[in-house]
Amino acid sequence: MASAGYSAVVDRLMSALGRLPGIGARSSERLAHHLLKCPPEEAIELADAIRSARDRIRHCQVCFHLTETDEPLCSICRDPRRDPSTVCVVEQSRDLIAMEKAATFQGVYHVLLGRLAPLSGIGPEQLTIDALAARVQSGTIRELIMATNPNLEGDGTALLVANRLGDSGVKITRLARGLATGSTLEFANRDMLADAFSGRHPL
Amino acid sequence: MPTSRTLAIVIRTIEVFETSLVATLFTRELGKVGVLAKGARRPKSSMQGGLDLLGLSDIVLIPKASEALDLLTEAAPVERFAPLRRDLASLYAGYYVAELLNELTDLHDPHPKLFDAARITLRHLGEPELRSRRVLRFELACLRELGLMPALESCAHCGAPVEPRGGTIWFGLATGGILCEACRTGPPHVVAITSGELEAIRALASPGDAWRRLDPTSTGLARARETVGAVISHVLGHRPRLRPLLGVSTE
Ligand SMILES: [Zn+2]
Ligand SMILES: [Zn+2]
Repeated sequence: MASAGYSAVVDRLMSALGRLPGIGARSSERLAHHLLKCPPEEAIELADAIRSARDRIRHCQVCFHLTETDEPLCSICRDPRRDPSTVCVVEQSRDLIAMEKAATFQGVYHVLLGRLAPLSGIGPEQLTIDALAARVQSGTIRELIMATNPNLEGDGTALLVANRLGDSGVKITRLARGLATGSTLEFANRDMLADAFSGRHPL
Repeated sequence: MPTSRTLAIVIRTIEVFETSLVATLFTRELGKVGVLAKGARRPKSSMQGGLDLLGLSDIVLIPKASEALDLLTEAAPVERFAPLRRDLASLYAGYYVAELLNELTDLHDPHPKLFDAARITLRHLGEPELRSRRVLRFELACLRELGLMPALESCAHCGAPVEPRGGTIWFGLATGGILCEACRTGPPHVVAITSGELEAIRALASPGDAWRRLDPTSTGLARARETVGAVISHVLGHRPRLRPLLGVSTE
């Protein structure tokens, strides 16, 4: 898709920007114009930030969260205060960070690096399930808490993990869902109420 | 602006921008539509839950010019198909239904009967012993609705009655159905099927209850699955993505 009237260099910038998630043709054009108009050091700083992040950040060898290249394990896996017997399984590092911000979970994580989405060509092989199975086999894990998204693809991903590791003797649980704390029953929709009923627990 | 309201099954979603969603919906009244749901991923969005994959929702949209995406203004969940969340085999079968709806139908080409067939199929995928037969019935419903139903009673080419010879019948994948002895050499992609297999396909394509009584272990049923799958692949021009995952055992 060559854009009319732009030189090859600008075209290259626009098509690189256009490959970012959520960026369409119009946005990439706008961003390219911004980068060419703003102070040069600002644009170079962005390029540098991208380069050094890509050079220095990789996946933790145990949980696949992001870590610096000189550290094979991420800061959570390295932390001796974390409980290694409870593993919270998430789709992506962004979900892990949301949980860490809430600071309510003391265990460790496993990042699947995606979710089961066969219609988009993402099967078990594209996820880090083999590595999770190896972690389970090593024997320290007592419980896997499935914290994939509460939608069909997230539920499917949880099913896949449960299916694969169901016989391993490890306890597999799913995060509860239903009513939000601080909300009112009156405004809860049918699905929220149904989830809250099925996820009820003794007082 | 004029709006349209209909029931819809969510067959594909793509996250766009910060909080929006582009979805492909198979609607009952409007056929397949591509919609933009602005802000659908915001925590307080009224469309949250109404755009979950393979959910059935009551939707309102503002139709746009032919090339552009329609604008979705409401999506309220009506039915969720619980079996899809209970076992992988049901989930894969559900994804297969979505793939067929997406790939076999054209935009803005309504097929209310196919919509109803999809709904019934998704609702009952949890019965393991009938699951693959329900999928087969859905495949045949797709072919029938799209005018591609293979001929099962007389020669697809000349209309003559077809007599099985030594228990074998010729079946044209491209020409759509069984062929008489005289016509079988002409058309390409002709396979031999057994009369037991033809009986199974007939039962699966019929409205009655005979398909439920088919022997699940019979070779006729297993071969019917292959032949109907081959017809689907032929129509699509490729093998469906989910096809290899069907029949994955999870028990
Ligand atoms: Zn780690
Ligand atoms: Zn003939």
